[in-house]
Amino acid sequence: MHLQLAWRNIWRNPRRTTIITIAVVVGVWSMLVVGALDRGMIDQMVRNAIATLTGDIQIHHDGYRSDPVIENSIADPKDVHNALARHLPEGSFWTARVRVNAIVSNARYSTGVTLVGIDPESEARVSFIKTAVVDGHYLASDDTTGILVGRALVDKFETKVGHKLVLMSQDTEREIASRAFRITGTFRAELEATERQFVFVNKAAAQEMLKAGNGISEVSLFLPDHETVDMVRDKLKASLPPAYEVETWRELLPIITAYLSIMDSWIFIWYLVVFIAMGFGIVNTMLMAVFERIREFGLLTALGMKPWWIIKGVLLEAFFLLIMGMAVGNAFGFASVFILNRTGIDLSALGAGAEYVGLPRVIYPTVYIQDVITANVVVFVLGLLITIYPAAKASRFTPVEALAHI
Amino acid sequence: MKKGIVVIAGFSVLLLLMVGGDGYAQDAQTIVADSFNYWRGEASIATVTMRIHRADWERSYTIKAWTKGEKESLFTILSPPKDEGNGTLKRGSEMWMYNPKIDRVIKVPPSMMSQSWMGSDFSNNDLAKSDSLLYDYTHTLTGTEVDEGTMVYLITSIPKPDAPVVWGMQKLKIREDLIFLREEFYDEDQKLVKALDFYDIQILGGRRYPRVMKMQKTEAPDEYTLVEYDDLTFEETLSDDLFTLSALKTPRR
Repeated sequence: MHLQLAWRNIWRNPRRTTIITIAVVVGVWSMLVVGALDRGMIDQMVRNAIATLTGDIQIHHDGYRSDPVIENSIADPKDVHNALARHLPEGSFWTARVRVNAIVSNARYSTGVTLVGIDPESEARVSFIKTAVVDGHYLASDDTTGILVGRALVDKFETKVGHKLVLMSQDTEREIASRAFRITGTFRAELEATERQFVFVNKAAAQEMLKAGNGISEVSLFLPDHETVDMVRDKLKASLPPAYEVETWRELLPIITAYLSIMDSWIFIWYLVVFIAMGFGIVNTMLMAVFERIREFGLLTALGMKPWWIIKGVLLEAFFLLIMGMAVGNAFGFASVFILNRTGIDLSALGAGAEYVGLPRVIYPTVYIQDVITANVVVFVLGLLITIYPAAKASRFTPVEALAHI
Repeated sequence: MKKGIVVIAGFSVLLLLMVGGDGYAQDAQTIVADSFNYWRGEASIATVTMRIHRADWERSYTIKAWTKGEKESLFTILSPPKDEGNGTLKRGSEMWMYNPKIDRVIKVPPSMMSQSWMGSDFSNNDLAKSDSLLYDYTHTLTGTEVDEGTMVYLITSIPKPDAPVVWGMQKLKIREDLIFLREEFYDEDQKLVKALDFYDIQILGGRRYPRVMKMQKTEAPDEYTLVEYDDLTFEETLSDDLFTLSALKTPRR
């Protein structure tokens, strides 16, 4: 009886009902879309970071992370190879790299870069570099003079594929090591900073230049199942001597991990802010609806309706409004996210600004089911809670007041 | 038979060309090496004035310089007083700098090698790798010209494929009495980047010597660095003690 009464009541004034529903729709929609945008952005950042050079897990020699010089390299990678052979789950890939800071120069320019000596074959399965080559070609395994540089660096140096670059760094004997390379290809990365920072040469060439023998700076792993990262890390750690550091991407990328951990709270706060704006609309409209019907409520009280029943009636009206708004809002939200996810949101127009805060060039919004649940619970529970105020008002109208009211 | 003669003649011409060409290249190699050694001497002690000229200011230093062989040099600044005692030691391809104000010797790291030396148009690399011209390039004599009555060799120097030099090519002008007249640095597109000119040839330290050097970048016509020799003596040899870190801190005057 209450349900039917409430449903008929809200349609006594269709315009007001529509307005309040629209408020809920817009609120829910913006919660979903903004939440999905944030999630998409951070997902993209994580994926970029992992694919750029991090991988799921990295192994270093103790001390390399705080002082990335060639002396802190893994002098004999045999232990690591054994451990990897025993503990890696099927379908994983790994690659070894030499990675030191270097200076790259040509006749007119010079700048600091990170020199990455890679094994072209295994590297291609772990990181982005093979697919990122846009001009020229990827490093061949036997090409010890080739170098891959980012497009931004090539532009800055006014050079091109086929031209020479001289790399300088410090070798294991702390002498200045320098070597000439020819650009075999240029790569494009998600962030321009990556294009400027990294240059890739063959691992053997880097080892020779730095007099590093078989030494490597890091091993990077790619796991088929990202959920098993911690387990694999623990296994590797246990089987390697303590002089090795085994770390997951969460430890290697502290900023992104921090982003991830504040994300949940950030989204919840955003939902509350949207809800507060929406909540005033709901309370206001419901109050209006209640005050319009003073005579009606007075009459109902006079007929013996208990105050609690009146509260229940008003809450049921709010319940219908919220449910309708949420249904439509969710539908719109999912639809817009679906479309945006297909096309992506291109931020490249923002250029250096987006670059500066580390935003990816294109954001693909992603819906997390937990965000949808939070959004709807927030709207529904808080929506009903604040409607208690107009409902309580309605229950307190006495028949005498109602009569005095015009 | 006739065919045979033609073939033999052809072969000998080819052979001659090869030998001749090779000899030519060998010549250029020797010319460069000899001029370089003539310019450096076995060992030398010099006082030079370095003038750094820019569009709206000019600064000059008086520097005392010791060199030995191809690889060892020591520079110390005599004036201005503000910079007095600042020194640079070069041994092999390594460089150290000394600053008396903080009493510290720093080894010039790779990251600083391509930076300018004392704010001049010379880079640390120009100093540290001055002998790179001898080892990293293949020199070819491309022609001769006559300058004020003396013959001048025109030499094109192409870096060896794996040589760690940034230049695409150098062009040298060397007088037949082994005096450098001009050294041009080109990038890989064969565009001139900077040039080092030698002027004012006179008797210095007992031999004919260019008293003035001028380094200038092509892109900045009103910026250059002049190095003028105020005094130069050549020695048979200098003590090894001179080219040590302790000598860098307390150079002999």
